[in-house]
Amino acid sequence: MSSALHPIERKILSALAPLGSAPFEALVAAASLNEDQVRRALQWLASKRLVSVGGSVESRLELVREPPELELVSQVSQATAPLTIGQLRGKFGSPEEFSAAFGRARSSGWIAVEGGAAQVVRMVEIAGAESLRSLVRSIASGKTEGSMTSEEMDTVSDLLKRGIVRRVETRTTTVAITDEGRRSSLLAADEGLIDRLTPDILASGAWKGRRLRSIDVEAKAPRFFPGRRHPVRDFIREVREVYVSMGFTELQGDSVHPAFWNFDALFIPQDHPGREMQDTFYLEGLSDTALKRSGVVARVASVHEDGWTTGSRGWGYRWRVEEARRLVLRTHNTVLSVKALSESKEKETRVFAVSKVYRNENLDYKHLAEFYQMDGIMVGQGLNIRHLMGFLTEFYKKLGMADVKLWPTYFPYTEPSLQVVGYSKAFKSWIELGGSGVFRPEVTQPLGVSVPVLAWGPGIERLMLMRFGLEDMRTLYGSDLSWLRNRGELAGS
Amino acid sequence: MPVVRLELSRLTEMIGASRKEILDRLPYIGLDIESADSRSVRIEYSPNRPDLGTDYGIARALRGLLGTETGLPEFQTEPTGITVTVDRRLSKVRPYIACCVATGLDLDDEDVRQIISLQEDLHNGLGRKRRTVAIGLHDLDRISPPISYRAVPSTFEFTPLGRKTASSIRSTLSDTYEGKAYGHIFGSSKVFPVIVDSKETVLSFPPIINGDATRVTTRTRRMFVDVTSTSQKAGDDVLAIMATTLSEAGGRLRTVAVRYPNKVRVTPDLTPAELHFDFDLVKSVIGLDLSRKEMLACLARSRMEVKGNRALGPRYRIDLLHPVDVAEEVALGYGIDRIKPVYPPSKAPGAFNHFEDFLESVSTVMAGAGMIEMMTYELTDRKSLYDSFERPSSEMVAVQNPKSLDHSMLRDALIPSLLAALSGNVKSDYPQRVFEIGRVYTRAHDDVKESWHLGCLIAHSQASYTEAKMYLDAACRLVAGLDVVTEAAEHWAFSPGRCASVTMKEEGLGNIGELTPGAIDAFGIGVPVSGLEIDLSKLYELLK
Repeated sequence: MSSALHPIERKILSALAPLGSAPFEALVAAASLNEDQVRRALQWLASKRLVSVGGSVESRLELVREPPELELVSQVSQATAPLTIGQLRGKFGSPEEFSAAFGRARSSGWIAVEGGAAQVVRMVEIAGAESLRSLVRSIASGKTEGSMTSEEMDTVSDLLKRGIVRRVETRTTTVAITDEGRRSSLLAADEGLIDRLTPDILASGAWKGRRLRSIDVEAKAPRFFPGRRHPVRDFIREVREVYVSMGFTELQGDSVHPAFWNFDALFIPQDHPGREMQDTFYLEGLSDTALKRSGVVARVASVHEDGWTTGSRGWGYRWRVEEARRLVLRTHNTVLSVKALSESKEKETRVFAVSKVYRNENLDYKHLAEFYQMDGIMVGQGLNIRHLMGFLTEFYKKLGMADVKLWPTYFPYTEPSLQVVGYSKAFKSWIELGGSGVFRPEVTQPLGVSVPVLAWGPGIERLMLMRFGLEDMRTLYGSDLSWLRNRGELAGS
Repeated sequence: MPVVRLELSRLTEMIGASRKEILDRLPYIGLDIESADSRSVRIEYSPNRPDLGTDYGIARALRGLLGTETGLPEFQTEPTGITVTVDRRLSKVRPYIACCVATGLDLDDEDVRQIISLQEDLHNGLGRKRRTVAIGLHDLDRISPPISYRAVPSTFEFTPLGRKTASSIRSTLSDTYEGKAYGHIFGSSKVFPVIVDSKETVLSFPPIINGDATRVTTRTRRMFVDVTSTSQKAGDDVLAIMATTLSEAGGRLRTVAVRYPNKVRVTPDLTPAELHFDFDLVKSVIGLDLSRKEMLACLARSRMEVKGNRALGPRYRIDLLHPVDVAEEVALGYGIDRIKPVYPPSKAPGAFNHFEDFLESVSTVMAGAGMIEMMTYELTDRKSLYDSFERPSSEMVAVQNPKSLDHSMLRDALIPSLLAALSGNVKSDYPQRVFEIGRVYTRAHDDVKESWHLGCLIAHSQASYTEAKMYLDAACRLVAGLDVVTEAAEHWAFSPGRCASVTMKEEGLGNIGELTPGAIDAFGIGVPVSGLEIDLSKLYELLK
């Protein structure tokens, strides 16, 4: 048990120690504290088993008033001449009181009524009255029920019924110090200890050679909520560091783009189901009217229609500039990479972006309308799918996913296309983490790029769910303060 | 992505391999296993590979990959002598039709289920929900050729599939499920396409519904397939997939002559797809040092063939567009899992984007100041963005056809999002101090301007302007090393007299103040809220 005591607890122990045990009131007086302080501190002391608190209830009798029949007997016996009933009644405050007294005295056989027309009251037997009188006196002077004869008890119960005597109960609390309390009090009495270090004590050097008094180091401290960054931000930071460590330069860009850059430049045909409003957010009433079928736009248009000079068949439909002008919230960040490609004529480059993409979805545990993707591209002579596989394996390893596989898949803008799947221990299955591939010539050549471009665009949320052991993506963006404040920083990692 | 359900017992028989072998290899032809039980497996396949939409097609591909049947599958056709005459008045409605016949069929229930499942997937995928292409399957024994593809008025009557009585085109469009679902494809057209035989039996009212008279059952031995379309190429592609699938199902394929007003086309044309075979290109894409012979063996496992410098793929491979597509077929034939990854080390150092770093440093500063960072959605709703603050929504940036009204417009400020977030946390302990660094959108004529803001809210019984200003001062001092000036101002989020503009180097950055009681009440928050919102994009420009 900790010996750490509050100053009030110490005061009480040192007051109690010489007494051994004491009634509560006596202890309050001895400790020179107020009752509330003592009561609170006793709870703590008792819980630490330094004192034991006991209680007892005592009852005693209290005389409320003289029995009126004794008054009547006194009047009769002290009168110089016999009194008539009328005279006797006159000596009482009320006729009711007189009747009760008279009735009792006569039925007890103490008095009798004599005479003809003028009836007088005479004393018959004084001893019974005197024994009642002495009992009443002894009650008034504190005689307890325990010391009474059974006859007296009968009389008392009659007096109790009549309200002439009442029973009063008193409750007393007794506090006793335990052996452990005695030891603590000896410690507490050590006046050399410092309660609390103060600037004065430090300045005066009064601390020298003295100890600080022990405190209760097991007690609960008040709870508070420190500020903290969002877990998604921390995860993005981690991804950014992995990218930069692998020689990538970070891109940043707008969320709103003409459909041209989001879709057409990626060789996604204009009637592709993914371009429909059910899947894509188009901005109401807004379009990029400056977009004209010339330059890169014209080349892309031709690629769609007949393959342009790329050697492709193209999609074989009539391309419309109006469709390409519509403004969309980017559905993938590859749009940033493609724009960067079209602007930079570097023969060798690595760029990435971790930012939001938008899909017209109903939200559920695995679908969000806004989520993050960590897209990147690697451009360079001689790059091939083995390099893509090598990069992805290394990248995921750095993000803590050592167990990944690459499976073939399909995207309109890459050939070959690979998807990364990672093994989820929670789901006991392979979970799709993201797509990748080598940009098709139909994508690169209209942009004036003639070297291979490896591209990928995985999401971050599934990885985060795996790391945090969560099952619902909405948790990440649910703004639940309780989760944000209390989640373990390293949970699941 | 379309999904097909396969019975494992059929697959093992068709492929001649064990279940385990089959399940292990499925991902390596680009198929995702969605779910599996002891008897069946559900497979997700790419819409660009509808030839993998049945167990016949999957077995055909896997036999190749496992080496039991390699090379280009051959499809023989013989003429039937059946003709389909096309009405010139259909040229503006649904101009193209392509047909074929499969004879010698002996289909069981599962065969029929596979074929119908493919038909549905083709309708939704290549058929673009039947707008571009629609397929009709018929029992040829109930048809009396020649057949005509004819334009009729809306009063034309026939008995649709599954109905007992005849009804008009008009009521078919208005009263049937199919009519309601696909009738819009006709727009305001006054004529409608029907396929009828020489006895005026209606085969189909494409792309809505077939006639009842020619329905296919397991007793059907000779099947007639019609494919109507608005694109000849798409129609031919879809017919090729249906025809080659029926061939795998045991059918002998026969051609039909389609007579247009100015030409005759014999369908289906199952001539292999042809791409230029560019050995060096393939090698450079897959990075494997394969000989020509090895490469050809890989292609054979992908059911392709090379003749000279021509790579031939089966007609059903509608995804072969460019010589580079041969590379993937080589890689698949080789086995993606056999290819050894190579990590290319970087030659140049990487670099963080300065602005992203700046945003992150703001987050670090605010968290250090004791605030909890929130990340809310950029798409929000009119009520929380405008109505709750009693401000007009005339400048809103809305999205078209949002699936949920909760995500129907782009926010122009963070405070509404943060207030909405606090309203969901009224049972959490106060004080609550939160911030967000987020993208906001403002309308600029016909364009949208994007910028990054910092928003902070402080909510507790003593929350005040002064406390908000303490955080503003700290943020500006720690992030920018500069002081800000606050001057009395008005702003929709804040109470008059308790609101200021925030200025740095004479540039307005945002506002600070105590939130209006109306807004606090609208979000159901029971304590005073103060806060601030400043433009981090502007601040960044100031600091550059």
